[in-house]
Amino acid sequence: MTTTEPATRELTSPADVVAAFFEAYSRHDVETMTEMCTDNADFSYIPYEVWGKQRVLRGDGKVRTVGKVIWSGLINSFPDLFNVVHSIDANDKGDVVVMCDIGGTQQSPWGFAAPKGGRFSEPHLFIFHVDENGLIDKIKAYWNGAGINRQLGHLEVD
Amino acid sequence: MKLFKRKSIPREEQGIVNTTPEQTVRAFLNAFQLRDVEAALSVVDKSVRVEIFPLDVREGGFDDIRTALTDIVTAFPDLHLVIKDVIETGSVVTAELKVEGTQAADYAGAVNQEKHLDVDQAWRFTVDGDHIVGIHVYWCQNQLYRRLAVKRLDQIAIV
Repeated sequence: MTTTEPATRELTSPADVVAAFFEAYSRHDVETMTEMCTDNADFSYIPYEVWGKQRVLRGDGKVRTVGKVIWSGLINSFPDLFNVVHSIDANDKGDVVVMCDIGGTQQSPWGFAAPKGGRFSEPHLFIFHVDENGLIDKIKAYWNGAGINRQLGHLEVD
Repeated sequence: MKLFKRKSIPREEQGIVNTTPEQTVRAFLNAFQLRDVEAALSVVDKSVRVEIFPLDVREGGFDDIRTALTDIVTAFPDLHLVIKDVIETGSVVTAELKVEGTQAADYAGAVNQEKHLDVDQAWRFTVDGDHIVGIHVYWCQNQLYRRLAVKRLDQIAIV
């Protein structure tokens, strides 16, 4: 008879969890990024607004339904998408704040921005919460969308 | 007659501070809420390093944060600042804010059209002792311009 040890998750600090998340992001490994989050993890990309004629699409919801789609779309539009993490600050309540740059070269449409081969790199601030099991249960991000649009040559405020 | 008399050294001279980083930041934010720029600046170190990304302020200093605060309280005299969350992570304190107001003067190149502004922002402070020594500010200028009826990033002043 073979006994198998139950799979145990190696608990690391919230800062280590978030650092690993950005490593997965660097590898464009959306599945791992998603698996590092709870099933019901909250997701909010504050500047993400797509204004249609009848409604506004916002980057608010859950990691598994909204976040995963946005990450995959970004990587598809910017195949060389990269991140450079400048600082990770955490407390013992599971809050983690990250200053980083995110950038890439546009190969296909992103929002209303048509691809012109433009390259961007823009400072971002991420706020995470990591639960007691070492899983991310909240992701929020802030950046200046106008800075990205200018770099991509998309000058309409849409 | 007192046999033992200990000279009292002020806590500041002993290098002991009474405030936490969060309290220092809340003092700044509370003054900002009251549109009292000088009171907000009273907890900012003169050597502060300031980055206000949407305004393209990089490697800025004390005068830059003074200008940024003055500009917004002047352009939006009914400024309503909602402090949504304050997170302390050691000497770094991050505040999530909602800035609301009605435009009454030109702001960031946008001509006054008396539009209502509501923009979510994140301010990341670094605190040393009881003074703020670093400020990084994030918001989406595209969202701000959209609310102020700006049509193009290369023609901000044209309405």
